[in-house]
Amino acid sequence: MKRRSFLKGTLATGVAAVAVNAGLLTPSTVLAEWNAKAFGAKSIDDALNAAYGSASAADSADIKLKAPAIAENGAVTPITVDATGLSGVESISIIASKNPMPLVCEYTFGAAATGYVSTRIKMGETQNVIAIAKVGGKLLKAQQEVKVTIGGCGG
Amino acid sequence: MAINIRMRAKVVNGEAEVKALIKHEMESGARMNKKTGKPFPAKYINTVEVLVNGTKAVDSQWSGAVSTNPYMGVIIKANAGDDVTINLADNTGDKGTETIKLK
Repeated sequence: MKRRSFLKGTLATGVAAVAVNAGLLTPSTVLAEWNAKAFGAKSIDDALNAAYGSASAADSADIKLKAPAIAENGAVTPITVDATGLSGVESISIIASKNPMPLVCEYTFGAAATGYVSTRIKMGETQNVIAIAKVGGKLLKAQQEVKVTIGGCGG
Repeated sequence: MAINIRMRAKVVNGEAEVKALIKHEMESGARMNKKTGKPFPAKYINTVEVLVNGTKAVDSQWSGAVSTNPYMGVIIKANAGDDVTINLADNTGDKGTETIKLK
């Protein structure tokens, strides 16, 4: 119960969360502003709407999502998203479908970058990892189930 | 406090895979401190950018669900002699920066 009320109090979506997060964040002059609404969203659709303005993504075989079938330690799950087979990849996001806040990370690419991201994420339980790529204004996705034997978000 | 970044990159055919290891606790804010019954305060890197010769190549945002001591790998178009810089900041305002010259 305490955890639930804490999450509601600090990380709920909407205006309140934006205000709270704005208070917690120290504004940076160099780096882009953090998208508090997208990262605070509790559902995949809310997160995608906040990040991209749309939640509909089509399956694509050109996005290669590399994730372990079984993650022994959910706290360190290596994920690689390779969309270099597509040209003009604008952005890649990684979503852990059952995490309390599904959006894990979002990468936006400039002219000098290719559509490739490799990272390590925390996963609390067995769930689908979804890679979203924005190509030419459209959202494409690939997903894979990762079985987690030791959760990474407990404590 | 400056955030420690270790970065490597090697150029192959006009592309370089930049690999970075960052030393950071990445505390999501949801983990409970059993002694006090309160959650550990959130402290995680939320903005990361990769620059090639001062021009932004990758602009990234993270949540607290990125692993402790994060690893980041991206592929950039660059040649030997180019400067690659990573700038990052966490939600408490701590910053880190690292620049290497590609070989």
